[in-house]
Formats: sequence, structure tokens, C-alpha cells
Amino acid sequence: MSAITPTTPVPGLFEIQAHNWKLAILVGLIVSVLSMFALPPEAAFWITGAMAAMVAAAFVVNAYRRHYYGGLLVAPAIAVLFVMNIFPLLWSLGLSFFAYQSNQQTIRFVGLTNYTKVLTDSLKAPENWANLTNTAMFVVLTVTAQMIVGFLLALMFAKQFPLRKYLLILVLTPMMLSVVAAGVFFSYYYDPTFGLLSYFIRLFTGEQFILMDNKAGAVAGIVFADAWMWSPFVMLLVLAGLVSVPKYLYEAAAIDRVSGWRRFWSITFPYIRGLLMLALLFRTIEAFKMADLVILLTKGGNGTMTISYHLIRIANEQNKTSEGAAISYVMLFIVIVLTNLYLYIANRRTEGA
Amino acid sequence: MTAKTKLQGLATAAGFALALFVGGATTASAEDVTLHMAVPDWPPTRIMKKYFDEQYKPPSGNKVILDVDFIPWPDFYTRVNASLTSGEKKYNMSVADSQWLGAFVEGGYFRKVNDYIEADPALAKTMADIHPSFYNAYSTYPYTSKNIYGFPQFPDVLVTYGRKDILCDAGEQAAFLAKFNSKLPCTGEEIDAMDWTAFENVGKFFQRKKGEMLAGKPLDDDFYGIAFQAGKGYDFSSMQINGFIWQEGGDIWDETKIPDGKAEGVVNSPQAIKGLAHYLSLIQYMPPVAKTGTMDIFKSDELFREGKVAMNIDWIGLGEASLDPKTSKVSDKLVFGLPPGTKGADGKLVRWNNLGGQPFVFTTWNSDLQNKEGMEFVKWWLSPAIQNQFAAGGGQSAVKSVYSDPKYVTYRPWNRAWAAALDWQKDVWHVPQFFELLTQQQDQFDLAITGKQDAKTTLDNVAKFQQDLLSTAGLIK
Repeated sequence: MSAITPTTPVPGLFEIQAHNWKLAILVGLIVSVLSMFALPPEAAFWITGAMAAMVAAAFVVNAYRRHYYGGLLVAPAIAVLFVMNIFPLLWSLGLSFFAYQSNQQTIRFVGLTNYTKVLTDSLKAPENWANLTNTAMFVVLTVTAQMIVGFLLALMFAKQFPLRKYLLILVLTPMMLSVVAAGVFFSYYYDPTFGLLSYFIRLFTGEQFILMDNKAGAVAGIVFADAWMWSPFVMLLVLAGLVSVPKYLYEAAAIDRVSGWRRFWSITFPYIRGLLMLALLFRTIEAFKMADLVILLTKGGNGTMTISYHLIRIANEQNKTSEGAAISYVMLFIVIVLTNLYLYIANRRTEGA
Repeated sequence: MTAKTKLQGLATAAGFALALFVGGATTASAEDVTLHMAVPDWPPTRIMKKYFDEQYKPPSGNKVILDVDFIPWPDFYTRVNASLTSGEKKYNMSVADSQWLGAFVEGGYFRKVNDYIEADPALAKTMADIHPSFYNAYSTYPYTSKNIYGFPQFPDVLVTYGRKDILCDAGEQAAFLAKFNSKLPCTGEEIDAMDWTAFENVGKFFQRKKGEMLAGKPLDDDFYGIAFQAGKGYDFSSMQINGFIWQEGGDIWDETKIPDGKAEGVVNSPQAIKGLAHYLSLIQYMPPVAKTGTMDIFKSDELFREGKVAMNIDWIGLGEASLDPKTSKVSDKLVFGLPPGTKGADGKLVRWNNLGGQPFVFTTWNSDLQNKEGMEFVKWWLSPAIQNQFAAGGGQSAVKSVYSDPKYVTYRPWNRAWAAALDWQKDVWHVPQFFELLTQQQDQFDLAITGKQDAKTTLDNVAKFQQDLLSTAGLIK
């Protein structure tokens, strides 16, 4: 058999063939919709699932018969992605248009009410807005701190020096710790009675030092802990860029007696720019979701409440599933806009260069 | 395979089937019943499981297995909530905080058990012997109604933990008398008699810097007189603040007055504001971590066990660790008493406090057999013999005939305060909106504790929120 796709004729819409995926979609849709109206919800759920599986099977058979082996190879990954990510995502999108609480048995369609409540309600909107502003503050502060520290660490580790290998492992450890362990560690570190920080400051002032009793201190505490954990991640990415710069460029620059500053901007930076953007993107998305350290260090007190922690309370603790879903979609929208903005700027810079 | 071996095989199979059938018939009267139970992971539930495995013989002759999931405390609500609301129907029984009753009863997860109690006079008698404070808080929903849902698993109240070595030191006693013209409380009885002013004086008196003298020895670290819960998490300030509000004659939103009871005007009444302001005025005498809003029940307990404070008000449930020399630097210096009260108009102490502890409940999807075996287990658990054994092993009992027995106070040093405290216990709300009410209130209290707003603003905000939420929910007309 040749590697070229055999030209199996495309079946007509109503031709019963295992690879007739158009017919499968049609039948699947009709049966699913009918079952939703005619059967109890639990049965309809499984029938719709079975129909989805049938359509997927038709696609697979079609791909196999036409020798689309590439497609077949990624199919399992896509199936997992669909079941674990895309389906729950769509499901929660659906829920955000209903009045539904996970601890109650009733559900009612309310359209965009959840969204208007989240964005305009006189009690809820200011709180959501304040939490969002706090989150933005954390994004700016933690990501800036991580980028600077990570970048400087990478510059340091790009050179050879004694014990470099061991120091590198040491610097990478925070990233491998669980956030909970780091959070507990830092909560003791900052504790005015038991903490190291208070102990050292008292050597100079004679007073116990209370870091977390005001907003600036609490934010500084969280930002420091987060930077401590995630700067190594930025370093790792930047380091990969730094070691990929060809040596001969630096040698040529040395012959031309180019200044260190110029050497950095014209040789080093273009090589690491892509990776810097990647680190920035990853860390921004992660920082936007920050809740763990806040829960462990301040429980959201002293003006450190983030939108993610707020969301955990709404959706998980108070069981207000629909309202939680609405907040998550507003968040998702913001993150997507931000990400695309980043990518746009990154691409424009590359084209300009 | 020959015909002969085939026949032999058939005969064996038939014999086997017959054996199974006969065997099945004989064991039909003794079935295996498994009760899946979700509990928090701590000594009171570990002890229960241990006693069950070692001692419990079901009167029905069935084989009853108690399959317990020990869930760490910080995760407990989240895990139980997720399990119940996801519909997996995994647990037949669960330990629940009393405040959860409304949310899970209204959702259709917790089973009303009146029918089983009515059918069993012995169990009904035991229920009648439970102290009314606990009975109302743990068993009834709506609060104080006739509907029964839960049974006491580990009942708990707040007590004052004190350091004998410091409080009874002759030098400190003399200095305290000179300064405040009253005796520094040293024995359990003297601690019982304390009001908040005496507690505040202890706070003022023992606030010492590193290097100063304490009970004749120089301090190697700062020392503080008093501590109680003032944390933002879960209910780690409400449980203390409610006591202050009730003692001043104020009230929280009263769920027994649905739908006529209001939140605005009640929650932020002048008495309630006075109670909260009193609570806030004591924070300055506590270890500085109180100013960060993270002084929860575990932190104040830790500070006490590490020997950093003279007195701490905390749940009995955390007490075992302070008695154990492995986890406590003060294990041999302890004295316990009632939490302070507020002097009423007649000069007697008003001692209202919020009760703690947990009931356990049944879920709605159990088979009748599971419920019956569960009830037998409950009856056994609440029987005087087991309750006494539980109390001697570090638990507490809400059963009157057990805790009024003279030997009860000998089990643990804090038991001397137990019976006296029970009449002064009330509980926070049990309505389904409990978690929203609590979260908002804790956030507001945290703002006050960390010095961002005063008591009046705080309770005004709480009242406004509760009025709005409860009106929307139809609980306030």
C-alpha cells in the first residue's frame, strides 16, 4: 500500500458507513436532544455521552481509512483534553447562566443575571473589584520581583565558578517544594514571637517586629515568599537562553571592542527575549491565580484578598456554583486578553527587529 | 478432558453450589453491614474508632464494620462538602460542625432520625439526658425545634488555661495586690470568679519585655499576660466575640425568631457594639501576632504551650497537647477554670459563651439496616460506660448522668469547669446561609482586630450585610 492517502470516495450524507462522520454528528445531535426532552436527566447525560463517543469513533475510523495517521496519533491526547478540560469548561460556562447551588437540588435558567450581579451588585461588585485590584497588584509586584531576581541569578549562573553545580541545585529547591510547605515555613519566618525575621530585627531595635500587621508588610511578605519560590523558574528559562548564545559572537564583539552594555543589548538580549517573554507569560498567568500563599499567610487579611481566593470561598465553601462560574469566566476573559496583548507586543517587537 | 473428569468436575461444582446455598441460608440472619463515616482526624475520633473496634458487639448479631475516613481538620469541611454535594453518596455517617446542619439538611443530605428514636425508648431516654445546650445545638434543626438530626460526638466549651507557676508566685501575688488592690487569681476557683476586668489586669500586669523579671527569673523573651482567639480564618474570632456580645446583653441575629427577627438594630445594637469594643480593647495585651489577624485557636494554644503567655482562653479539644510534656513546656504547671464573665446588674457574673464541639449525623441514602445498626452504635456510644471511658481517655460527655458523676472531674484537670459552663452555652446560627454569614463577619471582625475600623462601623457593616442576605433568602420579613 502506498503512503499516499487512498482516495476512498466521500460517502453521501445518509450512506451508512462506519466512517461517515457527518451522519454520526447528525444522528448524535438528534438522539441527544430527544433524550434530553424525553428521558430523566441522568439517562440523558449518559446517552449524550455515548453519542459523543460514537461521533469520536466515526472520526477515528475515517482517519484510519484515509491513513491520517498523524491525526490518529494525537487523538488520545485530544480525547483526554476534551474529557478533562474542555467538557468541564463548557459545562461550567453553561452553569454560569443558571441559578444553581451545588448543595441544593434546584436549578433555574437566569440568563446573564449572575454576570450582572458579579459586575454591578452594590454589595458584591465593590468587593470583587477590590479583590481584582489586589490581584493586579500582586501580578505586577510578584512578576517584577521574579523577573529581576531570576534574570540576575541566570546572569550569575551563566558564568563558571567553583561550586556552581551545587549552588544551582540549592537555588532550584524552592521551586520543587510544595506551596503549603513554603507557606507554613514563611508564616513562622514572619511570626513576631517565634520568627527569625523578628529575632534579627530585634537585635537592632530591641522590639519584636510585626511584619504582617499592615497592608504594605503583608503584601511584602507574600511577594517575597512568592518570589523566593518562583524566581528559580525564571532563572532556568533565562539560563537556557544565555547558554545558547554562540561564543563566537562575543569573541567578535571583543575584537571590535564593543562595550559590555552594547554587547548585552545586541547579542545576549535577542537570544533570550523569547524565553523572557515565555517566563513573563507563565508567571503572569500563575500570579493571576494566586490564592495558596494568601490563604496560608494572611487568610486574605490586611488588604491581601485576591480574586482567586474569593472564588474558592464563593464556589467551594459557600456552594454558590453559578456565581463562582460567572466570576471565573470574567477572570478567564481578562487572562485571555492579557495573554494576547503580551503575544501581540512580543510579535511586534520581533518583526521590528 | 475425558467424560469421567467432566462428570467429576460437575459433581464438585454442584457440591460447591450446594454448600454456598446452605451456607448462605445459615448466615442470612447475620449480615455484614459497613458504615462509612467521615470524621476529622484528631484524638476524640481516633478514640471512638479504637473503642468500636475493640469493644463494640452489635446486639443484632450482624457483623458491623465502621469504615472511618480520618480527614485533617483544615480540609474537613471542604472534603465533606464536596463528597455530599457531588452526589457520590459515599458516607453513611459524618461528624459535622453544628452550624452545618441547616445547609446540609436543606440540601437533602442529612437524615431526620426522629422515627428511629421514637421506635427505641432506650435511645429516647439517652437523648433526654443530654444537656439542653448541646441537644439544641447538635440535634435540632431548625434550632430548638422537635426535628432531630445529630448526636454528640465530641462536645466542647471554652475554658481558661492558666500557668500556676507564675500566677501563684508569691512575689507576683504581692506586686499584683499592690498594683490593682485585688488578689491575682491562682487557683481554679479564683479563675472561675474572674470577670473581664480581672482578665485585663492580668494582661496589663504580665506584659513584660525580654530581660525583665518574671516569677523571680529574668525573661529570655517577651512575655504576655493573656491570649484568646482573634484570627480571620473559619470562626476563629466569632466564637469569642459572640460571648462578649451576649454577656453585655446584646445578641446576634436570632434564628429562633424567623421571620420577624431583624439583623439591623439587633446585630449592631449599642450592647453588641459595647461587647465587641470590649473584646477589641484586650487585643493590645496579647502577643503581637494578634495584630496580624492570624491568632487563631491553634496559634494562641501554641503560644501558651511554648510558655509565652500566662492565661489563654481556648477549646478543651486542644487541651491534651498542653498536658503532654512532649508538646508542652508548661505541662506540669497548669490550672484550669471557667472563662471570665461580665458582672450583671445584680453583681453576679453573666457567663454566656459560644459552644464548640461536633455532633455526628446520618445521611439520607442509607439502607434501613444501615440506619438501624448506626442507631445501635449511637446508643452504645452514648451509654454511660463508654462515655465515662471516653471522658477518661480525653473526651467529653454531654450526657448528664455521666458528667454529674463525682468521678468525672478526676479525669482531666479542666473537667472541674465542665458542668458549670454548660448552662451558659449558646450557639451561632444553623441556617443554610451560615457560611456566607460567617465569612463576611470574620472579614469585618478582622478589619477591627487589625485596627482598620472601630466596633460600630464593623457591626453596622455586618448588620447591613445580614439584613440584605437574610431578607433575600426570605428569613427576615
